[in-house]
Amino acid sequence: MINKKGKVLTGVIAGALVLALVGCGTTTPGAPKTPANEAAQAVTLTGAGSTFMQPLLTQQIADYSKQHPNITVNYQGVGSGAGIKQVSDNLINFGGTDAFMTDDQLAAAKGGKILQIPMTLGAEAISYNIPNAPNELKIAPTTLADIYLGKITNWNDSRIAADNPGVTLPNLKITVAHRSDGSGTTSIFTHFLSAISPEWDSKVGKGTSVNWPVGIGAKGNASVAGIVQQTPGTIGYVELAYALQNNLPHALIKNKDGKWVAPSLDSASAAAAAFQVPDDMRVNIVNAPGATAYPIAGFSWALIYQQQSDKAKGTALVNFLNWAIHDGQKLAPSMQYAPLPSNLVSREEAMLKSVTYQGQPLLK
Amino acid sequence: MSSRLRKYRNALMLGIFTLCTLLALIPLFGVLGYVVKNGISALNLEFFTSLPQPMGVAGGGMANAIVGTLILIAIAGVLGIPTGILAAIYLTEYDRVSWLSTLVRFTTDVLTGIPSIIIGIVVYTTLVMKTGNFSAFAGGVALAIIMVPLVIRSTEEMLKLVPQTIREAGYALGIPRWRTILRIVLPTAAKGILTGAMLAVARAAGETAPLLFTALGNQYWAHSLNEPIAALPLQIYQYATSPYKDWHRQAWAGSLVLIFLVIILSFVARLAFRNRKNF
Repeated sequence: MINKKGKVLTGVIAGALVLALVGCGTTTPGAPKTPANEAAQAVTLTGAGSTFMQPLLTQQIADYSKQHPNITVNYQGVGSGAGIKQVSDNLINFGGTDAFMTDDQLAAAKGGKILQIPMTLGAEAISYNIPNAPNELKIAPTTLADIYLGKITNWNDSRIAADNPGVTLPNLKITVAHRSDGSGTTSIFTHFLSAISPEWDSKVGKGTSVNWPVGIGAKGNASVAGIVQQTPGTIGYVELAYALQNNLPHALIKNKDGKWVAPSLDSASAAAAAFQVPDDMRVNIVNAPGATAYPIAGFSWALIYQQQSDKAKGTALVNFLNWAIHDGQKLAPSMQYAPLPSNLVSREEAMLKSVTYQGQPLLK
Repeated sequence: MSSRLRKYRNALMLGIFTLCTLLALIPLFGVLGYVVKNGISALNLEFFTSLPQPMGVAGGGMANAIVGTLILIAIAGVLGIPTGILAAIYLTEYDRVSWLSTLVRFTTDVLTGIPSIIIGIVVYTTLVMKTGNFSAFAGGVALAIIMVPLVIRSTEEMLKLVPQTIREAGYALGIPRWRTILRIVLPTAAKGILTGAMLAVARAAGETAPLLFTALGNQYWAHSLNEPIAALPLQIYQYATSPYKDWHRQAWAGSLVLIFLVIILSFVARLAFRNRKNF
C-alpha cells in the first residue's frame, strides 16, 4: 500500500514539477546550452545588497535583458551590509553597497581582490509625513541630528519653526524611522550627522548599522519609505527615487556653505564634483562644500572580484557592468539619480578591463 | 437545586460555549475574508503570466514566484514526507519504548518549536556557505527540515489510532510484519497521514524566514535548482513592506494565490486517494 501512496504523492509532486518546468520552458527563449558558442549561452548572474540603487539597477537590468535575452541578472535588495558579507563569502557574483568596503572587510574577502565600481550617484531625501505640511520644509543639520538623538520630539518645536517662518506645524509627536538592516543609506546618513554634530559623532557614530538612540527600524529603503508614507509624524531618510516615486515630501537641508538645498540629481552631482575620487574609488561626499551641493549624497558601488572563477559568468558580469556605467546611465536622470561623471566612467572602464579569468582579461 | 436553576445554568453555559466558538471563528473568517476581498480585485491574467517589473514600475506579476513556491514545496515534500512517514513507522511499529525512540520523539518536539529562521541560518551556514551559492535546493532543504517533525508527529498519532487487534488479525493469518504494516496498518491510517502531510506542506508553503538566506529570491525565472529562486512568501513580504501602491495590490493577490495553492494541493491529494478502491 505504501507504494501506491508513494505513487500518488510522487504523482502530485511530479505534476507540480512538470508545471514548473513548462512554466520555465515557455518563458526562456533561446536558452539552449551551446558551450561552443558562448555569446548564446544562457547565463544567470546573482547580485545582492544596496537598496539605495535598486530602483535604478532593476530598471537597467530590465533594459539590458531586453537586448541580451540570454543574460539574466537577479538582484536582491538585502541591504549593503548583507551585500558586502555575501560577496565577501563568495556567495554571489556581485554585491551592491553605498558604504565602500573598509580595509578589514577587503582583507576578509574569500575570493581575492575586490574592485569597487561606482554604479550611480544619489541624494538622500529627508522625507516626512506631516498632515497639511508643505513640501520642502527647511530642516537645519543640527536640528536633524537632535531629532535623531531624541532631543527634539515634536513637530511644533521652536527650532523647526525658526527655520520655517510662515509655516504652522501641528502639535504632533515626531516618529523617527531608520534602517534595521546593515545599510549603506544609513552609512551616508550617519557620516553626515557625524560631520555636523560632535555629539552625534561621540554618542552614536557612523557606519552601516549604529545604535539608534530613538526610533523604529525597517528593512530596506522601501520599508522606510513605507513607514513614512503610512505613519503621520514620521521622519525618515531614503534615496531620492523612493521619495519621488511615492510622492513623499522631502526637506531642504542647509549645506556647508549655509545654503538651503533640495535633494536632486544636480545637487548630488555638485556634491560629487567637490571631491577628488581616489584610485580605489572609495570616497565619501557628505557635507560637501559648494553653494549648490546637497550635503547628504553618496556613490553606490558594485563589488566584484578582480579574478573571476567562471569564464561565462565573469564575461557576462563585466559586460553588464560596462553597459550600466555607459549606456545604462541614460536611465538615471529620469529617476533623479545623477549620471556618473564622464572622467570617472573612463577610469571605471579601465578597472573593468583589469578583471580577468585565468589571467585573461574578460572585457574586450 | 431546582430544575429551573439547572436549566438556566445549562442555557448560560451553552451560551458561553457558542459565544467562544463564534469568537474563534471571527479571526479565521476575518483573515480569509480580508484576503479574498483585497486579493480578488487585484488578481488578473498578468499576475499569473508576467514577471515582476523593475522597482517602482506598476504592473507585472508573480508568475516566477508561484512556480518557485511549487518547486520549493516539491523539493521539500520529496525530501521531507517519506522521511517523516518512515521515521513514524519505526517509532510506532518497531520501537515504541527504547531510548532511541524517546530521543527521536523529544527531538521532533523540540524541532517543531524551533523558530524557522534558525533552521534557515543552519542551512545557510551548512549548505549555502559550503556550496557557495544560494539555491532553490537549499530553500527546499530548509523547508523539508521544517516539515519532517510535523510529518513524524502527525503520522505517529495516526498509526497509534490503528487498533492493535487489526495487526494481530494480520499476524494470525500468517502475514509477515512488514506486509501487515504495508497492506493493513498504513492503508487504515492513510487519510490521517495524508492530512498531516498536507498540513506540513501548507506550513512550508507559507514560510518566509528560512527562505531569506537560502532561496534568496529572484525577479526572473530560475534556470536550475542550483540558482536562487523566487517564492510567494518572499515576494509578499517584499511587496507588502514597500511604499508602492501597485505592489501592495500584488501582495494581496499573492496572499490569495498562496492560500488557494495550499487548498488546491490538499484537495488534489485527497481526490487522488479517494479514487483508490481499497482506501
